[in-house]
Amino acid sequence: MKISIIGFGAVGQGVAKAIRSTQERLKRKYNLKIDIVAVADSKGAAVKEDGLDPQKLLEVKSEKGTVAYYPDHGHENMDGLQVLEEVEYDCLVEVTPTNIITGEPGKSLITKAMKDGKEVVTSNKGHLSLFYKELVNLAKKHNVNFKFEASVGGAMPIINFAQETLPSSKIESIIGILNGTTNFILSRMTAEGSSYEQTLKEAQELGIAETDPTQDVEGLDAACKSVILANSVLGRECTLDDVEVTGITRITPEAIELAKEDGYHIKLIAEISHDILRVGPRLVKETSPYAVDGTLNMATLRTDLAGEITVIGKGAGSIETASAILTDIINIWKSKQS
Amino acid sequence: MDPIGVLRLRMSLVLELQDVPGQLVAALEPIASVGANIVTIIHERDAKTGALVPVQITIEGDKETLDLAIKKLTEKGIRIIEKDGIPLKEKVNAILIGKISEEELKSIVDDINRLKAVKVADLSLKMSTTTSTIKITMEAEHNSLKLLEDEIHKIGTREGLLVITET
Repeated sequence: MKISIIGFGAVGQGVAKAIRSTQERLKRKYNLKIDIVAVADSKGAAVKEDGLDPQKLLEVKSEKGTVAYYPDHGHENMDGLQVLEEVEYDCLVEVTPTNIITGEPGKSLITKAMKDGKEVVTSNKGHLSLFYKELVNLAKKHNVNFKFEASVGGAMPIINFAQETLPSSKIESIIGILNGTTNFILSRMTAEGSSYEQTLKEAQELGIAETDPTQDVEGLDAACKSVILANSVLGRECTLDDVEVTGITRITPEAIELAKEDGYHIKLIAEISHDILRVGPRLVKETSPYAVDGTLNMATLRTDLAGEITVIGKGAGSIETASAILTDIINIWKSKQS
Repeated sequence: MDPIGVLRLRMSLVLELQDVPGQLVAALEPIASVGANIVTIIHERDAKTGALVPVQITIEGDKETLDLAIKKLTEKGIRIIEKDGIPLKEKVNAILIGKISEEELKSIVDDINRLKAVKVADLSLKMSTTTSTIKITMEAEHNSLKLLEDEIHKIGTREGLLVITET
């Protein structure tokens, strides 16, 4: 299977690493050979019809800052759309940064790939939380696979889990922690009694929070993921505008202390049901499945037949997110074999 | 045979069960295991809310046995919403954060107390230089919990406070 990776930040590089480390197993187990025929980042691209070397890609990126300097096959200033126009490939792996205002450049890339009859796998939340229906309909119209497990919960299985592992049950609601950065901050505040500002700084120093932490701490990242789950798992039609969002910036150490006195923790909880769509800080019992700490994500699915089912896993991280992307690629491959 | 002189009592409970096969048996097992007699079981299907259905059961035994049955049910996570015709109250907490004056706090407590089947049971207040953090503990009937939550969020929006309620 020939893939084009557009976007070569932490997740894109994770995909290259995951492919490098699993190639023998994938060949043996699924008879699947993944060739990375093109990679594009913000400065250029590398293109090779019979497959780029994942190791070389990672080295060039780390030494020169862009894959455009890949020996003999690098192209400065070649952008993602040009790559999709010129390269022969089967599946687009779209891992450009999330943009919650326009959904670009991801939306244009995905649209082009689908119109060209290519399969699409993405980890990007922007276009999905703004144009879910449009994109899913486009995929249907062109009869291509469109998979986005990595967009919610990183390595934690949830979309495929609900759609493919639990087809007998109707999912009535999903309640969970969908943002690792805020969960880390709140866990630290709970353990240390520290202030929000202080703890945010610590998270930034550890690389867990970004320099501009707005999307995480204001609950927008979790809101995007809630929209994706509401559409894909609960069959609702909604966008980011429909989410009631409250962040964690006003939470005081006193609030955490008062909660603890009664055996509660404060967590940023996403609630998705047929009539609720909201993200905000909530009190959770310290003995409940919601009391997971650090950067972990979790979600409890309430179903009609199976009762409650809870999943927990790493919500971010390069290789962890790449694992979900690779799973989507393998599933597309398997579906094509039968 | 009961020992002579032990008073046998009847108790009526309304349990809230998931409307799926096996739930009723799972709820009856702890009652039977402590030696209480089950006298009647009535599914209140008309009162079904979502996936939950209230089941009214009447059980019989001495006082210790009945108390033990309630304890076992609670341990199993089975919700008892009514005992001998009286709705059981539950404690719920909410935390409010922001700038709140004493008068504003009083009016918030009054607003909550005005709600049907709800009463403020406890207040804790912690102040820092810029903000107040208040924990309100309330007692409410199970049926009023949703309404109470909505109401507290409304109050928070009105007063410009961050409201944190239970999941």
